[in-house]
Amino acid sequence: MKKLAVLQSLAFALTVLLFFSCNQSTNKTNEQAANDTTAKVEQNNMDSIPVSDTTKKNVAVKQKTDLPNVLVYNSHITNRCASCIAIEEATTKTLKTYFSAELKQGRIKQYILNVDDEANEKISEKYQAFGSGLFVTRVYKGKETNTDLTGDGFKYARNKEEKFIEILKNKISEYLK
Amino acid sequence: MKKLAVISLLLLISLNIFSQKSSDTIISNNLQNLKLKVLYFHITNRCNTCFSIEKYVRQTIDSNFANQLEQGIIDLYVLNCDLPENQELVKKYEAYGATLAITPYINGKEGKSEDLSNWAFQKVHKPEIFMEELKTKINELIK
Repeated sequence: MKKLAVLQSLAFALTVLLFFSCNQSTNKTNEQAANDTTAKVEQNNMDSIPVSDTTKKNVAVKQKTDLPNVLVYNSHITNRCASCIAIEEATTKTLKTYFSAELKQGRIKQYILNVDDEANEKISEKYQAFGSGLFVTRVYKGKETNTDLTGDGFKYARNKEEKFIEILKNKISEYLK
Repeated sequence: MKKLAVISLLLLISLNIFSQKSSDTIISNNLQNLKLKVLYFHITNRCNTCFSIEKYVRQTIDSNFANQLEQGIIDLYVLNCDLPENQELVKKYEAYGATLAITPYINGKEGKSEDLSNWAFQKVHKPEIFMEELKTKINELIK
């Protein structure tokens, strides 16, 4: 009988021990979990730094997009005349000479369009470019302002290039402001 | 053989000169009546657009102002700006390539010229609009 009582108390003691040990491990897991959450929060805080950096970057991007952009279109048909070629050459020369930084930044883009190419139908229609043409477009806050310099191109580009370059340069400078 | 080559060359040069000269048109009938000069300049090697502008300028005048042209109220000049004899007018109108200009005359006195080149290249692909707008402009200036 005594033996039974001893065994019972031993079993109880073992159960109590087991209970506490299990409980301790559960607490530890919770603690670890708590620590992990903290780590996560810290990590989130760490993440918040690049986020704020990104915000800064966004501000920079926003500032860039807040500036007007300029699109320069040289349109031509498949069989080109001397004046048409001269207009394109003088346009490219103007951009490379005076606006290389803006070209690199992407603030100025030059497009050479063959209006005989079906792929350019939509853009040709937009600018009413059915032959040789030079169009300068200012894009600012979703609004577009366009100047058709085709006449000046035909008048000056071939035989008075410096005059043509001056006209185009002035127009682009005005549109970049 | 050499003679033949020289003759051929001279023939080619003379043909080239004559073909250039033949492209100039000057219709000026009576300076006392003059109210408007219409001038169109072009280079020697012309493109379709350049030919079209001349064609519609002529059509506008022929269809609406034939009498005024005959009476000398309107003068028409179609000039090759590459020719040496036209250089004075080329400089005056800064017509170093295809250029459409109009000059009004009030009581025989030359007024301020208007450069219609940009307008012409914008409208040339819509002939009806081109001719209608040019007609309106000419009418305003010869009142």
